[in-house]
Amino acid sequence: MSEAALSFTGVSFSYRSDWLARIHALKRVDLSVPAGSSYGFLGANGAGKSTSIKLLTGLLHGHQGEIRLFGAPVGPPALRARLGFLPELPNFYDHLLVGEYLAWLAKLSGVTPARLPAALDRVYQLLDLGDLRRRRLGSFSKGMRQRFGLAQAIVHEPDLLVLDEPFSGLDPLWRARFKDVMAAERRRGATLFFSTHILADVEDLCDHYAVIDHGTVLEQGRLADLLGHAPLALTATGPAPAGAEALPDGQWRLVFPEADRAQVLSGLSATAVVRLERQKVALEDYFVARVRAHHAAGTGLKP
Amino acid sequence: MILLIAGATFREAVRSRTFLSLLGLFALGALLARVVGWISATDGHVVTVSLVLSLQSLIGVLVAVAMGTVLVQSEIQHKTLYTVLSRPLPRWHYVLGKYLGLAGALALGQVAMAVIGLGWAWVTGASLSPWLAVAVLLTTAEVLVMAAVSLCWTALSSPLLAAVLGLATYALGHAVATLPGLLHHLTGWKQEAVVILAGLIPNLGPFTYRDLAVHGLPIAWGDLAQRLGYAGLWIALLVVVTLSVVRRRQL
Repeated sequence: MSEAALSFTGVSFSYRSDWLARIHALKRVDLSVPAGSSYGFLGANGAGKSTSIKLLTGLLHGHQGEIRLFGAPVGPPALRARLGFLPELPNFYDHLLVGEYLAWLAKLSGVTPARLPAALDRVYQLLDLGDLRRRRLGSFSKGMRQRFGLAQAIVHEPDLLVLDEPFSGLDPLWRARFKDVMAAERRRGATLFFSTHILADVEDLCDHYAVIDHGTVLEQGRLADLLGHAPLALTATGPAPAGAEALPDGQWRLVFPEADRAQVLSGLSATAVVRLERQKVALEDYFVARVRAHHAAGTGLKP
Repeated sequence: MILLIAGATFREAVRSRTFLSLLGLFALGALLARVVGWISATDGHVVTVSLVLSLQSLIGVLVAVAMGTVLVQSEIQHKTLYTVLSRPLPRWHYVLGKYLGLAGALALGQVAMAVIGLGWAWVTGASLSPWLAVAVLLTTAEVLVMAAVSLCWTALSSPLLAAVLGLATYALGHAVATLPGLLHHLTGWKQEAVVILAGLIPNLGPFTYRDLAVHGLPIAWGDLAQRLGYAGLWIALLVVVTLSVVRRRQL
């Protein structure tokens, strides 16, 4: 987990939206995605998630700063053989059959003819595409396209799987199936890097996260550290300290930060403590508060 | 890599409605050409074959423009190339493969139209000169030049504008052939300007050999090689321009 599968160092990117205006999509972004991790890239619509992903997949170019894939600067196409990419709301050629399309994309990623049948069978099974292999992509629904999209991203067993809003257009059953497939890919050894604004998915799948807003990374780190910093809730009996909430049966409840643990507990006997538990952080609330605070800092408004 | 891209483009092109519809339209036109031959005052078979070859050229150019203009720009708009260019594939492989795939489909279309149209004329009693094969070859060269023109325009503009510019280039390309006869009407800088402008547009006149072939009039092999070489040079130039545009394109 020490080597970074993907890193952004001081990456800025801007483009012209018309003749006059220049949009600064990314502003000195620093990111480090540890090899083998599952990394959630969080941000509201237009925050810079897709721009970052397009830069690392070679669809956009001309950035300042450095983007490295497995330690090498992005640019040479050969590096992308280790990359699997599912774009947001993917689109495909209408007239090609599922089987021939997957085989074609696998070959483009360097899968040899000898390995091809096994590679195709693997993704047919993982995503239930075997019965659809003779269907044209033009006849597919949005959800089926998403399934094919994930299949083409993993068919060559990439080391880094980059997924842009992978759960778009999926029903609950296929959302769960996608999570199973992503977990399986991770067990195979792949690093997962996916963008989303659905935070429950991050809580389910990720061990690392970053929050981006208006092209700036607000924070990043281990999800366990974020959840570990959740406040503690103490239920006890005896004299209630200031700020405690009175409960029936002479008990009281006090919520306090981790930093105050020693101070709060030092004044209590062991028999007085009924229960001490860590509160669950609602990532969604945390994310909204974090982004609003960033907006407030920029605008001078109250968060 | 280039051949992989070309193969997929070829399959996608020959299965498209545009390709199949225009082939169907040609078959219908070939049937009607025989009717026109029957009612014509001159040699009906010559009229039929001439009409078939003209229709083949027209349909071929329409297919080339219609499919060439959606080849790159439409893929950018519909994001179909995201899953392709995010793989270990240089962009020039992609553009070259795309052109070769389309060229293969267009060449197949020309062969199919020749077999259908000339076959129908032969079945109904027309005698076919071997030089008709050369006429079909030169028409195919013209269609491949137009495919490169369309590809280039689509890299520089929207699909709709590229189609308009493609057809305008076709019209101007045939007008360029008449320029030498008009130049003596001009003098000084006007003459030079027209010569320079004419040089910027592929001259499609050399590919129109069908009227001579219908009457069995031969073409010198050296002349044929020169015309095919001219087509090859224009195709190479236009594909290189397209490559340089797509290489820098933000997706």
